[in-house]
Amino acid sequence: MAKMQVPTLLPAGADECVEPDGSVREPYAVLLDAVRREPGQLPRIRRGAQEWFAARDVTFGVPEDGAAPIFPFDPIPRVIGASEWRTIHRALSQRAVALDHFVSDCYGAQRALRDGVVPGRLVYSSTGYLRDIVGVRPPRATWCHVAGIDVVRVQGTFFVLEDNVRVPSGVAYALEARRALEKVAPQWFATNAVRRIEDYTTRLRRILQRIAPRPWEAVIAVLTPGPFNAAYYEHKLLAEEMGAILVEGQELIVSEDEVYRYDPEGNIQRVDVIYSRVNSDWLDPLVFRSESMLGAPGIIEAWRRGNVAFANAPGTGVADDKAIYPYVPAMIRYYLGEEPLIDNVPTYDLGDRIQREHVVANLDRMVLKPVDASGGYDIHFGRLAGAAQRTELVARIEAAPRQWLAQEEVELSRAICLREDGGLEPRAVDLRPFVLLDERPWISPGGLTRVAANPETLVVNSSQGGGSKDTWVLSR
Amino acid sequence: MGSESLTYAVWHHTTLRYTESIGLSFNEVRMRPRDRGSQRTLAFSLLSNPAAVPRSRIDYFGNYVHRVDVSTPHDMLEFVVEAVVENSEPRRRRLTEWQQDGLASDPRLEYALPSPRVPLADITRGMWREWNGDDNSFDAVLATAERIPRELRYVTGATTVESSIDDLLAGGAGVCQDFSHLFLALVRGAGWPARYVSGYLGPSGEQMVTEGQSHAWAEVCGADGRWVGLDPTHGSFTGAHHLRLAAGRDYGDVAPHRGLFYGTSEGAAPEVKVRIARMSHQQVETVQTGTAVRWQQQQQQ
Repeated sequence: MAKMQVPTLLPAGADECVEPDGSVREPYAVLLDAVRREPGQLPRIRRGAQEWFAARDVTFGVPEDGAAPIFPFDPIPRVIGASEWRTIHRALSQRAVALDHFVSDCYGAQRALRDGVVPGRLVYSSTGYLRDIVGVRPPRATWCHVAGIDVVRVQGTFFVLEDNVRVPSGVAYALEARRALEKVAPQWFATNAVRRIEDYTTRLRRILQRIAPRPWEAVIAVLTPGPFNAAYYEHKLLAEEMGAILVEGQELIVSEDEVYRYDPEGNIQRVDVIYSRVNSDWLDPLVFRSESMLGAPGIIEAWRRGNVAFANAPGTGVADDKAIYPYVPAMIRYYLGEEPLIDNVPTYDLGDRIQREHVVANLDRMVLKPVDASGGYDIHFGRLAGAAQRTELVARIEAAPRQWLAQEEVELSRAICLREDGGLEPRAVDLRPFVLLDERPWISPGGLTRVAANPETLVVNSSQGGGSKDTWVLSR
Repeated sequence: MGSESLTYAVWHHTTLRYTESIGLSFNEVRMRPRDRGSQRTLAFSLLSNPAAVPRSRIDYFGNYVHRVDVSTPHDMLEFVVEAVVENSEPRRRRLTEWQQDGLASDPRLEYALPSPRVPLADITRGMWREWNGDDNSFDAVLATAERIPRELRYVTGATTVESSIDDLLAGGAGVCQDFSHLFLALVRGAGWPARYVSGYLGPSGEQMVTEGQSHAWAEVCGADGRWVGLDPTHGSFTGAHHLRLAAGRDYGDVAPHRGLFYGTSEGAAPEVKVRIARMSHQQVETVQTGTAVRWQQQQQQ
């Protein structure tokens, strides 16, 4: 394809869309051409999409003054070419399968620990390692039915930033972003061969049905922590579209190792499958946290006996522990005998003295994250920390090295975004594709593209004011 | 005494009182000893009042767990354990130290790491150094077990079941649970895998009967993978009269009772009574028969 000149209105530094030599990257050619021809359309499309979200109550976050905030949305899609997507698809399939093997191994023979592939000190000290479920074999021997794996592009190369295999969220926002954009910018879909994503919920439902103890009449429940959870909207949407019931822990009761749901009218219904959006250590106050009000006592025993199925299975948090993430490439080599197709961002295990000393000596280049937090809280960029802050940070790490993870700071690719005032600017993006694991992995083409709140920041978490874009995978 | 086996009758009574009647409770009970080393359980029964059929499984740490669900309204819940346990004097083995690399990929590493109630903090590391210098050998482990009861006072009621090692050190007094947690923190800090053991202290020497509470001590693992029992409350190796119930990383893993109920009642600390008697062989048979009969009676009610 002939290289186009960058029109003056495309901002410099948007390397996700524009090559260093100024030519538009091929997957973006048609879209950016349309944007360039009609820049005035963008504010209208954004307004249309926001109205559409408001009408459907697409929210992210905890309600303040009665209403949860609308998810911020950027109208210019993130575009992934067909061959790029093949790479991501193969790499994330590989990674999800290896993570699933690892969870299975942790609750089974622990081969990887005995063979020194993953340090036992990390697994045994992981809050995600649930001793009460060691020895359990879930239906179809699958643990991580849904994985959300965060991928970033750094100078043209993809890296995995984080694995989410406990309760990965965001898929509903991807589905809604697409619906909104198809409604308000249908002309874009007429000229770009965008792969469809709407069968995600059908695929998920099929997996849930297959793990049910009574697949022919499975009652599926989406277990939510409730309306005060930031992703409550998503729980509601998935339940609706899968024909599942949306339940909170207090509606579930376990009797004779079977799980039942009491609905508000007082009817009782047996539950076969729980798609859980509650962290597993909150599921059963009898076994795990006794203060939990989010689960139901006895539910783990019901699962152990095969009377109810869980997706994801309880205990997957051990593969989601940020301190264990540095060992995922080693897991891929160990369990699959393959080289990782997408590597980790360079990451250091701070429990290891030599690696810790390296991090402290090179703090300028590091990002420090607490291992047990999500949502982008308490993240520190060494480069931005003052002398006093550094001393404090180093002291915190030395005092509790297991609680921290250090990654080299990487320059996330930037995509073109629409500013409040109608101008364009480049902002950092990542990508969270959703991998569904059954007999073989299936990945919804695209996923959730998260966008930083402004051109300066590299943190894209929704909890930190970031937004999202529709994500396109082109079929050719 | 050598390897002469001794037989004990164990009677373990737990009462939970609620301030109001509750309709449904779920309980996990760790009160059945598992055969291990020199110890054998010849007879065992667990009865609850209100009656329920207990179901048992083996937990992660190898302990018996009984699930007891009570679905009749109750304002009091009792568990009665009757058991006949045989034990002989364990060998007082000396252990060899682990090489750091040897432990790194060994499952027993888990017992050398901090656990919820046994943090590895500067205070216990400092204490080990003050007591033993750089010596991390088994001699130092033994000396530590002997020294704890000399440094700290055993005072019933000085601490609660929730007390931490810091609480013990601040007050200078505690009970077997606190002494065991402190001992675990000290020896784990020196690189030894060590676990918490709950059990009973039976009569020893000329004693025929003991009455009181349950007991706790520790086991330390050597590089050959063998465990040795040490009682930091008495400052000695464990003996035939240490009857082992359950083991784990700390008290949290072996609590004899964990329960939940639906209702507005306030839970109270369980009242526990333990009585252990030395038995003759004739008595063993009598108790075994009696237990079986009472079990059947309760099932028929």
